[in-house]
Amino acid sequence: MSFTENIAKQFALIGNTNVAELRKNAFTAFEKLGIPSSRHEEWKYTNIKTKLNEQLSLTPVDSQVNTAVKNYISSLPPYSFRIIFLNGVFHSELSIVPQMKGLTVCSLKEAFTSNSSLVEKYFGKLVNYSEEHFAALNTAFVNDGAFVHIQKNVLIDEPIYIQYFFTASDVNAFAQTRSLVILEDGASIQLAEDFRNASNISVQYNHVSEVYVGKNASIDIVKLQLEVSNAIGVDTLEAQVERDGKFSAATITFSSPNTGTGKALIRNNVTARLIGENSHADLNGLYFGKETAHIDNHILVDHISPNCTSNQLYKGVLDDESTGVFNGKIFVKPDAQKTNAFQSSKALLLSNEASINSKPQLEIFADDVKCSHGAAVGQLDENALFYLRARGITKQEATQILTYAFAHEVIEHVHSKPIRQFLCDRLKDELKVNF
Amino acid sequence: MLSIKNLNVSIQGKQILRDFNLEIKAGEIHAIMGPNGTGKSTLASTLAGKEEYEVTSGEVIFNAKNLFDMSADERAREGIFLAFQYPVEIPGVSTTNFMKAAVNAKRKHQGLEPMDAKDFLKLMREKMALVEMNKEFSSRSVNEGFSGGEKKRNEIFQMAMLEPALCLLDETDSGLDIDALRIVANGVNKLRDANRSFLVITHYQRLLNYIVPDYVHVMYGGKIVKSGGKELALKLEEQGYDWIKEENSELV
Repeated sequence: MSFTENIAKQFALIGNTNVAELRKNAFTAFEKLGIPSSRHEEWKYTNIKTKLNEQLSLTPVDSQVNTAVKNYISSLPPYSFRIIFLNGVFHSELSIVPQMKGLTVCSLKEAFTSNSSLVEKYFGKLVNYSEEHFAALNTAFVNDGAFVHIQKNVLIDEPIYIQYFFTASDVNAFAQTRSLVILEDGASIQLAEDFRNASNISVQYNHVSEVYVGKNASIDIVKLQLEVSNAIGVDTLEAQVERDGKFSAATITFSSPNTGTGKALIRNNVTARLIGENSHADLNGLYFGKETAHIDNHILVDHISPNCTSNQLYKGVLDDESTGVFNGKIFVKPDAQKTNAFQSSKALLLSNEASINSKPQLEIFADDVKCSHGAAVGQLDENALFYLRARGITKQEATQILTYAFAHEVIEHVHSKPIRQFLCDRLKDELKVNF
Repeated sequence: MLSIKNLNVSIQGKQILRDFNLEIKAGEIHAIMGPNGTGKSTLASTLAGKEEYEVTSGEVIFNAKNLFDMSADERAREGIFLAFQYPVEIPGVSTTNFMKAAVNAKRKHQGLEPMDAKDFLKLMREKMALVEMNKEFSSRSVNEGFSGGEKKRNEIFQMAMLEPALCLLDETDSGLDIDALRIVANGVNKLRDANRSFLVITHYQRLLNYIVPDYVHVMYGGKIVKSGGKELALKLEEQGYDWIKEENSELV
């Protein structure tokens, strides 16, 4: 049975009636699209087809909470909001969701009934499932995820922590998880989505986040992929920003923690559509590759309206035989005059076998715009290394310190203080820097 | 303390130091002067262990150890300090963190525990005062956006923190205005003691009014061609380097 046949059989079984028409359309689209091979231009350097096994099961598997899950939860800062999923299934006993006026945080499954009109209005409206293979698959099959809705002019100053654990109770499980985030006009929020392999065998997941940013609303979203060794993960983040809105996203990927192996294949698609005048997108990323890890960041900023600004800063540190991909697109549509769009991609290669494919892509159809992009690939600055060594710091420690400094710039862009501090400590731990 | 014998050094196949000899005893200050391109900075960089300098022959003994058996960082932990002619900017690393790593690397080498945080900050404050550095510099990235004078003061501050046995000052005075020069020189003078030696490389005699050397050497064509006391520096100031060039025309 081929992959698509196998999946068709499973779709027939799910019988999910919520937004059924949309799901059916997404499924029909997926049947046509299938899993992309490296012949597909957008998947040229990321050969996911050969990595996914054909007998994958999309039926959610509820699993026992294991020690790794418990330990990790207890290591987290004391967030007031935390929503926890295990293999795509919501675990209310692990979650903390205080009631707050103007804010709804619940599982998507619950929102399908409790907030059905919002779900019908927003679910699946941002992702382009007729062309995006994994968005189509997710839209058809998603069972559960997070639902966050903030009413007009409500400001939440504590981060909402959404944790997706994968524990591979079934090695063929291909978890389909999803977050739907809706900010009404003038609302403001910070949000983290944390993806974690809480087992020592391989896991597969396919996540979609749809984020609606209303007029003059602002969101800071951090994607954490800090423990994704042995994971094949596809993450699609789609945001739409209205007039005077601000969308800020950071994607942090550490393929290899201090323990575990670096075998991982991670693909992040981040799209920000600036549909309202004077809106802003800030898209940052930091990735560490070790062993044979493969980390692919595909970014698109679509400037649709005038006077919008966007910034992209992506930094990678690739060691061993790891590979990176950076594909950064900036589209400036004919109406988007006075656009300011910047992009920078920098990668440090710490070994001769590590490599990166970096491709900036600018398509500009307006005439009064400022756009710039830069891509740099290299090693640590020899003069800086010598300067540190001339003060008695060993070559190894000097390398760690300079790598920390290189990477830290991205973390400085994370607005939420507890998340930034958490990342800073994690980075120090990763690089064994102890100051 | 330092004994350099018949040292020959090349960079990218071009010979810079030729049969260079120098002895420095504990507590002495030696100044090396000379026209540009005679190998003064090559000498400092070679002693500090910069890798692109190739030692083709000769030996250097530092405190009874063969210098060339040690990497750059080992030499620093053993007590050699190079004050850079062009200090490097390290964005993202604060001066405090940089010094903490350096001080603790040296302490580890001496078999000591890392310094207590409180003691460390006290030491930082004390040594920054020595070169009149504002304490805001401790949280700023190393040398990033510093003026020329601030960078040189930062070098002397680091020297004070690490308390080396042998200080190599590579054109520490170049580009400094008189106030900065005075501050830097004062900092150096406060570090003088019977066990610490200095090798002061300079193009100008001016610095030596403030840091008074025991010996002055003139380098030309990759070796020392003349040695004397501090009066030699004054003669060079008055007469320039032309007479040195004429006397040693066969060297270049």
